Amino acid sequence: MHEYSLACEIFEQVISTAEAHGALEVRHVILEMGRLAHANPEQLSFCFKAIAEGSIAENAEFIVEMIQPSLECECGYTGTLDKTQAGKDDELLSELLEYISALECPICGKNARITGGRELIIKSIDIETEVEK
Amino acid sequence: MHVIHMGHDVFKANDKIAEKNRKTLDKHRVFSVNVMGAIGSGKTTLIEEAVRHLKEKYRTAVIAGDVIAEMDASRFRKLGVPTIPVNTGKECHLDAKLVEKALNDIDLDNTDLLIIENVGNLICPVDFKLGEHLRAVVVSVTEGDDIILKHPMIFKTAELAVINKVDIAHAVDVDAEKMRDDILSLNPDVPVILTSKHDWESLETWISFIELGIRRAQEAQRK
Repeated sequence: MHEYSLACEIFEQVISTAEAHGALEVRHVILEMGRLAHANPEQLSFCFKAIAEGSIAENAEFIVEMIQPSLECECGYTGTLDKTQAGKDDELLSELLEYISALECPICGKNARITGGRELIIKSIDIETEVEK
Repeated sequence: MHVIHMGHDVFKANDKIAEKNRKTLDKHRVFSVNVMGAIGSGKTTLIEEAVRHLKEKYRTAVIAGDVIAEMDASRFRKLGVPTIPVNTGKECHLDAKLVEKALNDIDLDNTDLLIIENVGNLICPVDFKLGEHLRAVVVSVTEGDDIILKHPMIFKTAELAVINKVDIAHAVDVDAEKMRDDILSLNPDVPVILTSKHDWESLETWISFIELGIRRAQEAQRK
């Protein structure tokens, strides 16, 4: 379970950025997560909420946007995998495997290099700097 | 209310320290292997065999990662090589920061080979580079022959795959060749080695693979 430590890192970054901008409250935290990263959005959100209790991010909405895997082939092809390329095989055991099985170059069929889809990025935060009247 | 764009990559923070670790290791001409694999796959035994047969030729040190306890570290210490235990506490993987700290406790000027035993797990270590030169994954036949397709990313990103305990494959009703085929279907370029601690020849293949890495690293340094 590494969601807890990831959530700690996210929390620290969010709070320090929010405070540097004079935030009184953090309303939204928007994250980008690669489909090939071994992190679970629900668990991450749960951990973040637990850590943020009593802080200015206590009521923040935690939004995770998933990023499709992208690949690069020696033949020169670069592209992003979409859900229609993956998930054709009913026998596949997991979503992760579906994506990895689809990581062949659609042009030449060779084993392509993963160039994206493993990241975990704090994209933006929405903050409140004034007390509501 | 206003939006602040951050673009802070959480894994990149780890990757940066990993790069730093790699530079430190390169500067001291140390070749490092990250041994990943599930609990009970035989990582410790394979590392012991490698240490036993390489320590006279190459100055060897080990980082033994574990959640708690020092059992593995004491096994390596018995072989007379510098051993740094790294207890992660509650974490399921070693990260670059933990390795960076451990590197401070190793006499890198007098080390040729550093073997890092990761925490027993086929999932979390994938996301955390350590700065290693070789990412090896060990899987045993006792984990069942569907274990590879259940954990595709670790096999997709490994640079060496070891299928261990093949001598008991029949007893646990597992086809080691199917496991090899599954690994190659995910990662056609990865070398796959079948090993058993009761078969010296198979261990020799594992050890020679590490030795090849050390030699290549030393040659690259000379150029």
